[in-house]
Amino acid sequence: MLYAPLMKAYGTQVVAGVAPGHGGQRVADIPVFDLVEQALEAVGKVDTTVIFVEPYRVLDAALEAIAAEIRQIVLITEGVPPLDMVRLARKADRVETLIVGPDSPGIIVPGQVLLGTHPPEFYTPGSVGLLSRSGTLTYEVALQLTQAGLGQSIAVGIGGDRIVGSSFQQWLQILEEDDQTDVIVLVGEIGGDSEETAARYIAEAIDKPVIAYIAGRTAPKNQPMGHAGAIIASLVAGWGTEIGTADSKIAAFKEAGIPVADRPSQISDLVKQALSSINV
Amino acid sequence: MNLLEYQAKELFQQMGIPILPSQRIDHPKDLKGLKIPYPVVLKSQVYTGGRGKAGGIRFAENTIDAIAAAQTIFHLSIKGHYPTVLLAEAKYEPDQELYLAVVLDRSQRRPLLLGSQAGGMEVQAAVRHIQQVVVDEEFSPFYARRLAIKMGLQGDLIELVSGIIEKMYRLFAEKDLDLVEINPLAVSRSGDVMALDGKVTANISALARHPDLAALREQLPRPGIGASTTLPSEMRLVELNGNIGILCNGAGLAMSTLDLVNQAGGKPANFLNLGGESDYRLPPNLLQERVQQGLDWMIQNADLNVILINLVGSVVPCDQIAAVIEVYLNQRRTGRRPTFVMRLVGQNFETAKQSLAALDVPVFDQLDAAIARAVVLSKD
Repeated sequence: MLYAPLMKAYGTQVVAGVAPGHGGQRVADIPVFDLVEQALEAVGKVDTTVIFVEPYRVLDAALEAIAAEIRQIVLITEGVPPLDMVRLARKADRVETLIVGPDSPGIIVPGQVLLGTHPPEFYTPGSVGLLSRSGTLTYEVALQLTQAGLGQSIAVGIGGDRIVGSSFQQWLQILEEDDQTDVIVLVGEIGGDSEETAARYIAEAIDKPVIAYIAGRTAPKNQPMGHAGAIIASLVAGWGTEIGTADSKIAAFKEAGIPVADRPSQISDLVKQALSSINV
Repeated sequence: MNLLEYQAKELFQQMGIPILPSQRIDHPKDLKGLKIPYPVVLKSQVYTGGRGKAGGIRFAENTIDAIAAAQTIFHLSIKGHYPTVLLAEAKYEPDQELYLAVVLDRSQRRPLLLGSQAGGMEVQAAVRHIQQVVVDEEFSPFYARRLAIKMGLQGDLIELVSGIIEKMYRLFAEKDLDLVEINPLAVSRSGDVMALDGKVTANISALARHPDLAALREQLPRPGIGASTTLPSEMRLVELNGNIGILCNGAGLAMSTLDLVNQAGGKPANFLNLGGESDYRLPPNLLQERVQQGLDWMIQNADLNVILINLVGSVVPCDQIAAVIEVYLNQRRTGRRPTFVMRLVGQNFETAKQSLAALDVPVFDQLDAAIARAVVLSKD
């Protein structure tokens, strides 16, 4: 319960904690319950839950929240078994529950609400929507935006694990419709195909300006593996064998007409350019 | 975690997927006690593809031939890997070879069934013909039949092959696998099927709940530097060829810092991600302990002369991190001592900066400035 008091101090209405065996206690004046349903009986309807349990208990904790009709779930924990996430994703799709993470710093709406582990002092209210796969690199980018006088409308870490609950596309769509957001910064990294997919989606469906940054351009290449499942899946998906490299991702963004920053400090310049072209 | 072919086939057998009679060979002389009738195939057991082309698969008609072939294979490098085990298997003449796999599709967040009638060849070449079926909901055998039909199978083969796919899926789900592949699945004229080669990749995150798979990991040869095996599993050290050590908290931040050092003309010696950026538990002093531990491993790289530490977060105040570096430097007043450059953000930055200034350690709050200094110092 390190982060719950921090979230509460930031202004988030943290109404209850759940920790089996600790029911009846209070932490930073937050009442603790043994079961989610007991918490809801006492405090009424809850919009969102932030889950900090060990990896093998994440699926169960999320299913317990869904059973109690909580429809937004943030998973902080890293290293959740992928097939647990498949089960959770199937369930969440059926009941229209938004899952963020796992392996995520969660969501912050600067000046309003913190649902996760973002360091609030790095953020300031504004009109940049920040989407990222990382934790600390998100904080870095937010800090540099803040120092450049560019506040943020929201920052979302979609999660670093292989299977995550919500995609860049889902969040791009949410930010496209969000009145507070004028420009979107997408922070990606090597591995997987989420940036390539996002680039295609932006070209088709997003009108707001998007700036991208990719970490890992100079990271050593992975050892080639025999018949890697990822390669097969990406080939089948029509992405070619170079999927997941920085070159593939940067090329995808360029093809979609999205400026790609070379370094975190260049992001603010590109955001300013995008903002000035909107205001013209 | 990749399994060797013989380990994959043991799992196939447990699931009732037909495999040929085979025997594990740890030493060429084991072939004297071979229980499979000749002719046999001897196959190098390595964690890499391309062994057929490299000469890692040989046929033998009798014991003398087999021992000679085994000696050759044990000494044959396949892309830098030498086998510690061979698999001796009955020879089999298939009439038709299929490709089948179950993988996890990251973007769709669902398992994917893959299949093709053009099995037996390199996956890259076969990919054009591969059909796929997404397992959207709870698995049921109709997904397997759907794939069989898409593959163009007809008659009895539909049920026969979908039965194998179903078993592959059950194995995939029960053991938390990333990949189950059979290539080729041999089909004989009489309508028998046989998994001739197989590939299984287990998921590391789920390994702790599968003791049988975890035991296989214990038998794995440990590649690379011995040091990394004793670091906590969340901490990852990657060795490179330059002279700047990079220590960060978080994978994305570590990669970004590595890129910046390279872009500024520096040459990284190694980089270490302390991990724990989204740990569900945060015991007190975790970050400080990991910094100390990480430095001990990084410094073993003999070429390293500058260490750039970039830590971003706010839970641990800057002065507490500075204290770790102070203790570290004070313990090493003699002997080889790399130059430190720190980049910190958060509470008590000025205190940290002042206390480290006394030890000639520059502390920056701007990342680009820290990178520039580290690169300059590395060229002294």
